[in-house]
Order: sequence, then C-alpha cells, then structure tokens
Amino acid sequence: MTVTELWTVMPLLIVACGSVLVLLIGAVAPGRHLTTVAVTTCLGAALWTVQFPPVAAAPQLGVALTSLARIFTVLFALAGAATLLLSRDFNERRGIRGEEYPATILFALFGMAVLAAATTLLTLFLGLEALTFAFYILVAMDTDSNRAAEAGLKYLLLGAISAAFLAFGIALIYAATGTLEIVPAMAGAARSVAGRPLALAGWGLILAGAAFKISLVPAHLWTPDVYQGGPPPVVAFLSTGSKGAAVLFLIALLQPAGLIPALHTPLWWLALLSMAVGNLAALRQQSIKRLLAYSSIAQMGYVALALLTGSREGYGAAAFYVVLYTAMNLSAFGAIASLSGKDDLETIEEYRGLGYARPFTAGVLALALFALAGIPPTAGFMGKFFIFAAALRGGEPLLAVLGILTAAVSVYFYLRVVVNLYLSPALAETTANRPTPAEIVPLAATSLVILVLGIYPAPLMAIIEAALN
Amino acid sequence: MAMNYPILTILIFLPLAGALALVPFWRRERWAKGIAMGCAVVELALAGRLLFAAAGLPAASGAPGGYFLWEDHVWIERFGIRYTLGMDGISLLMVALTAFITLLAMLVSWRGIRERVPLHYLMLLVMESGIMGVFLAQDLFLFYLFWEVMLIPMFFLIGIWGHGRRIYSAVKFFIYTMAGSLLMLLAIIGIYLIHGARGGNYTFALHDLIGTPLDPGTALWLFAAFLFAFAIKVPVFPLHTWLPDAHTDAPTAGSVILAGLLLKTGAYGLIRFGYPLFPTAAKAVTPLLLTLAVIGIVYGSWVAYAQEDMKRLVAYSSVGHMGFVALGIAVWSPVALSGAVLQMVNHGITTGALFALVGMLDERTDTREISAYGGLWGKVPLLAFFFLLFSMASAGLPGLNNFVGEFLILAGAFRVTPVAVVIAFVGIVLPLIYTVRLVQQLLFVEERRPLTLPDLSLREGAILAVLALTAVYLGVHPAPLLGLLKVSVALLTGGLP
Repeated sequence: MTVTELWTVMPLLIVACGSVLVLLIGAVAPGRHLTTVAVTTCLGAALWTVQFPPVAAAPQLGVALTSLARIFTVLFALAGAATLLLSRDFNERRGIRGEEYPATILFALFGMAVLAAATTLLTLFLGLEALTFAFYILVAMDTDSNRAAEAGLKYLLLGAISAAFLAFGIALIYAATGTLEIVPAMAGAARSVAGRPLALAGWGLILAGAAFKISLVPAHLWTPDVYQGGPPPVVAFLSTGSKGAAVLFLIALLQPAGLIPALHTPLWWLALLSMAVGNLAALRQQSIKRLLAYSSIAQMGYVALALLTGSREGYGAAAFYVVLYTAMNLSAFGAIASLSGKDDLETIEEYRGLGYARPFTAGVLALALFALAGIPPTAGFMGKFFIFAAALRGGEPLLAVLGILTAAVSVYFYLRVVVNLYLSPALAETTANRPTPAEIVPLAATSLVILVLGIYPAPLMAIIEAALN
Repeated sequence: MAMNYPILTILIFLPLAGALALVPFWRRERWAKGIAMGCAVVELALAGRLLFAAAGLPAASGAPGGYFLWEDHVWIERFGIRYTLGMDGISLLMVALTAFITLLAMLVSWRGIRERVPLHYLMLLVMESGIMGVFLAQDLFLFYLFWEVMLIPMFFLIGIWGHGRRIYSAVKFFIYTMAGSLLMLLAIIGIYLIHGARGGNYTFALHDLIGTPLDPGTALWLFAAFLFAFAIKVPVFPLHTWLPDAHTDAPTAGSVILAGLLLKTGAYGLIRFGYPLFPTAAKAVTPLLLTLAVIGIVYGSWVAYAQEDMKRLVAYSSVGHMGFVALGIAVWSPVALSGAVLQMVNHGITTGALFALVGMLDERTDTREISAYGGLWGKVPLLAFFFLLFSMASAGLPGLNNFVGEFLILAGAFRVTPVAVVIAFVGIVLPLIYTVRLVQQLLFVEERRPLTLPDLSLREGAILAVLALTAVYLGVHPAPLLGLLKVSVALLTGGLP
C-alpha cells in the first residue's frame, strides 16, 4: 500500500479503528466516556477529510477521496457525532447500555464513508450494505421494546430484498459492460441499451433497490413502522445518514451518463407518488414519528425530482438538499429524542404547550418543522427553491407544479405540530424531559445550520457545484 | 439630507435586531415592552424623516427612474439573486404607514396583552421587519422571502393571543396565503428562466425583468399566479373568506396590522410587480379584475350590514374598501392609481383606528356584540366622539381621508368604465347605511344593558387623537402625499393606456 493510498483511506481507517477501540475500551471500562471516544473519532475523521490535499485515489482499493466524497464524508461524520451526543443521555434513560451502541454507529459511519468514496460498483455496494447492516442492529438495539424488535425485523427483511435487487442489478450491468468501474460501467450501460436489454434490466433493478433505500413510493412501506419503532436517535441517523448515502449512491451512478431514457418515466412516477402519497398520508398521522416518516418520504420525492432532471444543476440541488435535510431531520428527531423520557412522546397531542414548558427543545423542533415545510428564511426554502428551479429548467414543469401543490398541502401537517407546541392549551403536566448539555450542543448546531444555509447558501452551493464538475 | 448610511437596510433590520434584543429580557416584561416600543419609535422617526426629506432627495445613482434611495449587493451569485432595496414615492408611503401602524399596534395592546408579553412584542417586531422588506425589495427572490416571513408572526399572533376559534383562523390564514404564494414562487422562477434563456442574463432583479418579451399564453399563466397570490392578500372577492375569520379572532394588535398593513402588501404587490411585469396579460385580465373589484365593493358592504359582531363588521367593510383599491389598480390610470395608493394609506388609518376602538370596547366589557351596547354617547363621550369620527371617515365623509382616495379612484375610473363606477357608487352608499346603523345602535339608542365602562385613558386618547388628526389632515390636504406619488405613478402607468 502506497502512502497516497494510505492517506486516501485514512478517514475510513480512523472510523474503523475508532469502532474497534470503542469495543476494546468497553470491554475493560464501560461507561459514558465511550461516547466521548466515539465522538472524537467522528470529529477526527471529519477534520482529516477537510484538511487533506486534493486529488487522491487508491484504484487498487476502489476508493477515491474526490471533492464530493469529501463533502459527504464530513457530513456523515458530523451527523454521526450529533447522533452519538443525542444518544448518550437518551440511552441512559432507556437503559440501553454497552459499548456495542457507539461502535455500531461508527460502523454505520464507516459504511457511509466507503460508499461516498467508492469508485467501483463493488465498493459502492459494500458500503451501502455495511451501513444498512449496522442499522439492522441499531433499530432493534432497545431490547426491552417489542416495537423496536418488530421494526428491526421489518427493516431486515425488506432490506435483504433490496440488497438482492441491487446486487443483481450490478451483476447485470457488469455482464453488459464488462467492467465494475463506475464511470465506464454506467457510461457503457447508457450506450449499450439500444442493442442489449441487459443494461436496462440492470439499471431498472438498481433503481428499484435504491427506491427502497430512500423509501420512494411504492417502496416506502417499511418507513413509517421502522421510524415509529426505532429509538429516536437511531431514527435520526437512519433518516439522514443512510438516506443521504443512498442519494449519493444514485448521484454516483447517474453522473457519468445520466439516466437511461427508458427509465425516465418510472422515476418520474416514483417522484410524483412519493411527493403526493408522502404529503397526503402525513395529514392523517397522530404519531409524530409516523408523520415525520411520511414527511421524509415526500422530501425524498423532491430529491428524486431533482435527480430526474439529469443535469449537473439538478444533482447539485439534490446534494445540497441532502445536506440541509440532514440538519432538519437530525433537529426534528433529535428534539423528539431529547423530549422523550422513559417512553417516547408519541402522539402529537403529547406535545401540547411544550413551546413554553421546554422552550429550547420545542423551538428546535418548530424550526425544523418550518424548514421541512420550506418556509423562509430557513434552509428548507432554499433547498426547495434550488430543486424546483432545476426542475423547471430541466424540462419538468408539470412535475414541478404538482410538487409545489403537494408542498402546499404539507404545510398543514407541519403546522399541526407547531399548533400543538405553541397554540393549544398546555397539558396539566408533562412528562417531557429537559434537555441535557450533550443534547443542547448538537441541537443548537443543527438549528444554526438550518438558519445559516437559509440566509447564505451560496458558499456551500459553490463547493457542491465545483465538486460535481 | 445626505444618505451616506444604508437607511433602507436599517429600516428592515432594526426591528429584527430589537426582537433579538428582547430575548435577554424574557422575564422582565416592562423592559421588553420598552425595548420594543423604542424600536418602533425609532422606526417611525426614520420613516418620518424620510417623508419630510423625500421631496428634496435627488434620484439615486444606478437606480431606475423615480427611486431616490437604492441599495444593491450580490447575494447568491450562482442564481443571479441580489439584495436590492429601493425606495420611491409609493414605497415611502407604505414604509411610513408600516412604522405608524406598528407603533399603533403596540400601543393598543399595551394593556390588553397580559400573557407571554415579550413574545407578543417580539412577533410584532419580526412582523415589522418582514413588511418593511416587502415594501422595499426590488429583487423578486428577496421580495418573496420577505413575503413569506410576514406570515409566521401573524400566524402566532392570531393563534396565541386570539379569541374564539383562534387556531382554526390562524391555520386557515396561513394555508390560504401559503397556497397562493407557492404558485407565485413558480411564476417567479418561470419568468427568471424565460428572461435568462433569452439573453443569458439570469437575474431576479425586478427592473431587469420588466419588459421581458413573453408570448401571450405564458404571460397569462405567470400573471395569473401572481394575481392569485396578491388577490388573496388584498383580498379580492371571492378569495376573501380567510379575512373575516382572521380579523375577528385576532387580538387587537393583530387586526390592526392585518387590516392596516398585510392587506396593503397584496395591493402593493400588484402595483409593483404584477402589472409592470406582465402589462399585456394584465390588460387582458382587466375586465375580470374590474368585475371582481366591483363585486367585492358591493358584497363586502352588503355583508357588513348583516353583522352583529363589531369586529366582523369592520372586517367585511375592509373587503369593500379594498375593493376600491383593486378597482383603482385595475383601471391603471395615473389618477386612479394615485387614488388607490392613497386609499391604501387611508384605509390603514381609519380601519386601524376602528379596530383599536373595538378593541378598547372589548377590553372594557368583554363583548363585541353590537346589541350589547347602547347610549355610549352619554356615558363615554370621548370614546363615542372618536367612534363617530372614524365611522364617518370610513364611510367616506368629505373632509375626511377616505373620501379623497375613493373620489380619485372613481374619477379616474369613470373615463375607462363608467358602468363599473356607477355600480361602485352603490359601494359608497352602502357603507353609509351600515355605518349609520352601527353608530346609532352603539351610541344613540337607549342603553340595553347596564354597562359600567370608563372613558378613554390618556394613552388611548392620545392614540386616537393622533389618528384623528392624521385622518383630518389627509382629508383636507392630501396634496403633499399625492406629490410624492406623482413621479412613480406616472412612470408606472406610462406603459399602459
């Protein structure tokens, strides 16, 4: 292994070693300091990725630390650190102990980082499956909860099916093009369609598998159950890191040659159905976690709309949206985690009056909801604006109009939660937990990101667009 | 007067800074109130200073015609989004009105709001920022941003401190306006892309986009989206149904700001953006808008007559009055447009005063039913006097402010559509009927229930006296304001018959 290769995989090594280190220390001296070690690992990986000199590839290993990989590795590492901080006191309240929790979070992060840096279809697939595998465990980590066990099982079964789809799709692409390198393989697949249906079938299967991962309708059915059953901090990471990784997976595949024209219509429908079903189904939810699950389905519909345009602007908009979506969903689920004591605050009713009883956490939640609804001056508005502008320019006016209409509907259910937080008469007494310092730090950070990106998105947008070149 | 500091930015962000400054004083209500009031006073002083200095200000360099203050910076270069603020005569009047009405809203809620006091004043300040931004932004993207920002504080004002079905009304208000503005957002992106595709200059700058050649079909769709968003705010019949609920259930400050300022943003949007951007489409739609405006005038007044709740009555009367404004815009001639802008100011003042008066009565007796009152003329002469004065002003009594605006609108419209004017004239008579009934029932009929209510306090008297002086002044001597509007209105109407 050359030095360049070593430098390239250093973020992966840091995360992997951190994970092992946590397990080792946990065996000798279990306790809260394990979170500190894990958070340090995340921040170390992020820092390394930021400061590393440009252009570095390890072709033997199938990874390259491109600018895009770098942005997303940092994003995932920070999301991982936030999740770890949010989990620490939450897990204590729930009695989730043990070194396996932070270690598994780090392992998921490892998968994400591999995926972000992958240059071959094989590493891409391995990264995606590594992180999914970690989430199978994390979702079911709360062994006292039947719901969590059920959610874990559902996620596992459907995840296995989607993995099969993806693996078979990749095999077909390989058969059609004779290479596993992403760029030539995908470019070849786009060229060879006319003659051979193999590549088309391969792309179709990959799209189906990816639709499951980012829960586009009709492959969304697992999402509400898993989001409702899993522990909120895990769901925070699941809904941001794993979805962001899956979107990145699609961007990586789309970038070389765009989507095969024959698959345009299916993706068009996936986007429309996700926006429509997600936003409409969320209207009727009583559980805030199910509501956010449907909301995330709709949010991914917007991202699919951006991917559909097949333009660099569209991919840029999608990547930008993933960044701020990470901040928004970490905020929302983080706030829920922070408010939940022994049991989750489940129904929206239980949040009545918390705007005054727990001003900080409720404020974070409300800001995240306004951002998810796309109301300025939050980042959610900027993200939606970039997506819809890309869609109009990319020749998808009909889908953009329909998407805007569903977004108008979505305002109502986000507002319903805010109404309960601030307008409804407060409950006589609330069981909501007070935020701890370890929770305040990540929540304040994500809220700040939401506001800053909403007012001054230009630098991040420029970095992302430069990375996509 | 040299303007070597960014006064427009200060106008927009001073209230926001004030809102942030409130936060450390969360538990000291008097301090919080004081800071908020201080901000509002400074805003009014700035606006007033501009009002008096404006006539002597030279045209701003780099600005389109008619603008005497201009600030322009790059914001998001990648998309051609700029931070551009500009002030012409129309913006100046609206800014002054905003500063005035916001201060009024703070004063009238001085005693009425007892719960979560700092939050209430924080919302008022954020609102002021948003509205100032709407009236000053010269970049479509920036405008849209402020346009949406206004919504949130009003939603909380109605929802937290409102009465009756406050949550229902707050949500209805929010969804209604949001639906309209999202479509406008698409239209904004649409014209941005069309303009950019033509010359390669992708920009949201209003004055670059004006004059973009559009094919008639596209122009009509884009204008329809703008019109929809603005017509909801004005409100133009039949998009007015959110208004009575929101006005009635809002706290007094909320009603004052809704009627005094938020409705004006819709009309202002049409004047500043809708018509100039899509002149041909606007011309094509004129008959429809004229019809709806006239229906609004008659319908609003008609329904107002049937109301038992004073606040609802004033709310419906707003639908009628704003119908006049819509009529003036639809006609789009210099006289009618000046009348429309003037009427926006006048309506803000009289309706603001009426909502304040209703709020004062409500605070004293806890009811807004007209039938609960009676004989106020003898019991609370001062309050009754002001009530009479503002009712008459609202009904368009010559010598008071509303008359001037309505007269100009009708005079301007008569040349274009005599039929509409004849029907709209009914809209002048109908308010007289419901106003006379209201005044008679409240002030002169014999007392139906023994009510003990004190007359105006010094604070209330001072508020109403200032408002009354303004109303009389604008009614007798509107020339300075019309002078301010002259250039902008001439430039705006130049392109249209």
